[in-house]
Amino acid sequence: MMDFDQFKEKAFAAALAEGCDAAELYFLEENSFSATVLEQELDAYSVSQTRGLNLRVQLAGKNGYAYTESLDTPENLALRAMDNARAIENEDDHPMQGKCEYRTLPARECRIFDASEREKIELAMALERAAKAQDPRIARVMRSIVGSSNTRTRICNTLGLDAMREERIAYSFVTPVASAEGQVKDGFAFRVNDDVFDVEGCAKEAAKRAVTQLGGAPVPAGKYRILFENLAMADLLSAFSSMFSADAAQKGLSLLADKEGETIAAPCVTLWDDPFHAVNPRAFDAEGVPSLSKAVVERGVLKTLLHNLKTAKKAGVASTGNAVQGGVMPTNFFLAPGPDGFERLVTKLGDGLIITDISGLHAGLNPISGEFSLLASGMLVKDGQAVRPVEQITVGGSFLSLMRGIEAVGSDLRFGLPGGACFGSPSVLAGTLTVSGK
Amino acid sequence: MIEKRIAENVLAAALETGGDYSELYLEDTEQNSISMVDDKVENAQYIRRTGAGVRVLLGGRSAYAYTVDMGEAALIATARAAAAALSGAPICQVQAFSTVRACADAPQQPYSLVDNAARVALLRDGVRAARAYSAEITQVTAGYADVDQRVLIATSDGVWAEDRRPRGRVSFHAVAMQGGEAQTGSVSPGRGEGFSQFQKLDMTALGSEAARMAVTMLHAPDCPAGFVPVVIDGGFGGVILHEACVHSLEATSVAKGNSEFCGKLGQRIASEIVTAVDDGTLPGEWGSMHVDDEGMPTQRNVLIENGVLKTYLVDLVGSRLMNHPRTGSARRQGYSFAPTSRMTNTFFAPGTDDAEEMLRTMGEGLFAKAMGGGSVNPLTGEFNFAVQEGYWVKDGKIFCPVRGATLVGRGADVLMQIDRIGRDMWMSPGMCGSISGSVPTNVGQPRIRVRGITVGGKGGAL
Repeated sequence: MMDFDQFKEKAFAAALAEGCDAAELYFLEENSFSATVLEQELDAYSVSQTRGLNLRVQLAGKNGYAYTESLDTPENLALRAMDNARAIENEDDHPMQGKCEYRTLPARECRIFDASEREKIELAMALERAAKAQDPRIARVMRSIVGSSNTRTRICNTLGLDAMREERIAYSFVTPVASAEGQVKDGFAFRVNDDVFDVEGCAKEAAKRAVTQLGGAPVPAGKYRILFENLAMADLLSAFSSMFSADAAQKGLSLLADKEGETIAAPCVTLWDDPFHAVNPRAFDAEGVPSLSKAVVERGVLKTLLHNLKTAKKAGVASTGNAVQGGVMPTNFFLAPGPDGFERLVTKLGDGLIITDISGLHAGLNPISGEFSLLASGMLVKDGQAVRPVEQITVGGSFLSLMRGIEAVGSDLRFGLPGGACFGSPSVLAGTLTVSGK
Repeated sequence: MIEKRIAENVLAAALETGGDYSELYLEDTEQNSISMVDDKVENAQYIRRTGAGVRVLLGGRSAYAYTVDMGEAALIATARAAAAALSGAPICQVQAFSTVRACADAPQQPYSLVDNAARVALLRDGVRAARAYSAEITQVTAGYADVDQRVLIATSDGVWAEDRRPRGRVSFHAVAMQGGEAQTGSVSPGRGEGFSQFQKLDMTALGSEAARMAVTMLHAPDCPAGFVPVVIDGGFGGVILHEACVHSLEATSVAKGNSEFCGKLGQRIASEIVTAVDDGTLPGEWGSMHVDDEGMPTQRNVLIENGVLKTYLVDLVGSRLMNHPRTGSARRQGYSFAPTSRMTNTFFAPGTDDAEEMLRTMGEGLFAKAMGGGSVNPLTGEFNFAVQEGYWVKDGKIFCPVRGATLVGRGADVLMQIDRIGRDMWMSPGMCGSISGSVPTNVGQPRIRVRGITVGGKGGAL
């Protein structure tokens, strides 16, 4: 079997011989490890070695794609990609990035990257023990996981681009179950990279999430003032983030189309897309375009949508470095923190609900209409004091009205678990929304 | 895909450290997808996934390793990587492959023989019909996807099983806009068959249906919030069974005590008119397979009969932990996932009630004509799902369409509250996500009525 460079030469030569103007290969190689502990035994263990190659060919500005995981038939892959390029009818030019320079990122030194499998399994065991020990109402732990992965990405094309990066990540995740008086509730918490060593902190946070919900009941349907806790707000931002995509806007699938320069949120709202943020720093996007840190919304005003090379060309602007395979996505996308601590936000809330968890984001939410109606749980607040947990309610509204109605942004910025993009938010006093209950 | 001799060596290497069962899974999957925006082909992609996974079990514990490299040396290294999770001496040997299940026949009109022009032609008529439906339709997007998955499962207890699982789907999404508001409608039929399945579909009607839904919702007020009776129409309405109940019957949750239905076999968990089935054998259906991803033949599992819980959905690990027979329910998205218990084609069996009567006698409430997706927490049974097209009912008559409704509740409560089940059952395809990845599943039901569910919306009384 051939190596990557041999495969690349053969695939490019075959594509050029078929008449393409340019060709590009996106190569991803990954090793991963995860260990799941249950009742102090290794319950599930997984290791992997994978790779994949996506070939992109350009024919009169149109792109065709073909992906494979096998390094044995470059010519066949080139034919597939060319066939797909010929099928494209959209006439917008989709440029290819040429050779360019990238900012050097500081090397990320984490002790956890050097930990042995044994050490990681023992961390997962310690996390399970710690979660159980937090509170007598913690009956057991559904799963305690420690995992890590190492990813190498390389993008090469016939215009001279050759971009390469290696990324490592480690994480832990624990889900304790609390029970009392016939009710059961699960909690969760996670840690990333060297915070994985914060076993006690992670266990405490997860156990608190589970125990706090015990005794929950719905509230009567009506209008309530709402305070979203940081991770719940980060989930909401994540689910509506495609509204900020220029690709969606140009296709008529976002209400933010042509709204650059307009006020779309309250003055206390600033939204960043910062690929250099320490949560997951990257020097270039999936088209090899250098990363760019930018305010997407600044003090309530929409400054820019997120672009790749294709949408940027169509809009007559420069790419914002937000290309992913197959489209546009944020990088590290977060609401800039404000001055208020969480307690201060609860005081400002006065009477209302703290929403700590929202579910069904892929169903009860529509980024095209901007509307949501989501299963939620949290805490009832009266006169700035938590009264009792609340469950089995829905919170409904429209994302753009919510953004305009934000009264205060907290200082407690947190990011959710990293995926293709990282989404973060502080807790947010969101104004009045409709709640359904009993 | 591989010589039996090599498979035996790999399975033996996996048992070197004391495992009592090993399993090799090989996958070769080809996919083609096309998307259309503004009546023009926007994107075309070909994907081929090839790889192998080796699983080792010791009692209820498991280790899994997977690789893209399918050479003998790499497979043995992968087997040893999985075996490294254990540290004993060999106790079990690989049995000869005495149980052979080969179901790898090519479908009628395999996708590999279809060209892009034929794929695109399917979408064109639907997109044009949706556009022509109303001036309020501002955008129509369409998608085509075909998948031809070939798998081989070889196990240390002597099973050699091959399966070929073709499936294809088209989808039309319409957007209607007016005065800064946008609403959407969509349809997405598909079957577990070759390309010939699309000859039976009327693309024009499908495009119009997506547009009708979007325009109807554009002129609908927000759904009122409250606890009311709900009639859920047939087909994708069966997502209520999928989310509110059957996820919580999967061994994935039940075996470790993480389901509200633990310990309920033989007990009444639903109203007496409820019979629910998961059947992976139905020919050509979206969720069907010949053998499951542990090499066992799929079967028809009656989950609930006249309200009584009859069986869980159980894979091999689940059967060891629960002392419950396997049900041919082990599934995984592909080689990068270890298998676990999943649904196939899941539906409420037809009942005896009249579809019109259940609306006429419901008083005030919601008629959910088309459902969207949903999710559930099996531990607590709390589920949610979205209503794509809903109508408010007053005095047993349809009053007006309503938008943005979500249904939430607890599985155990809602099953007991079902008081009508209609006579005509049909199914619709969906993709179900869980710990073994995203797999195709059908949901289905006749029209049913639930006495009361919490309806989430952002509107006031109508």
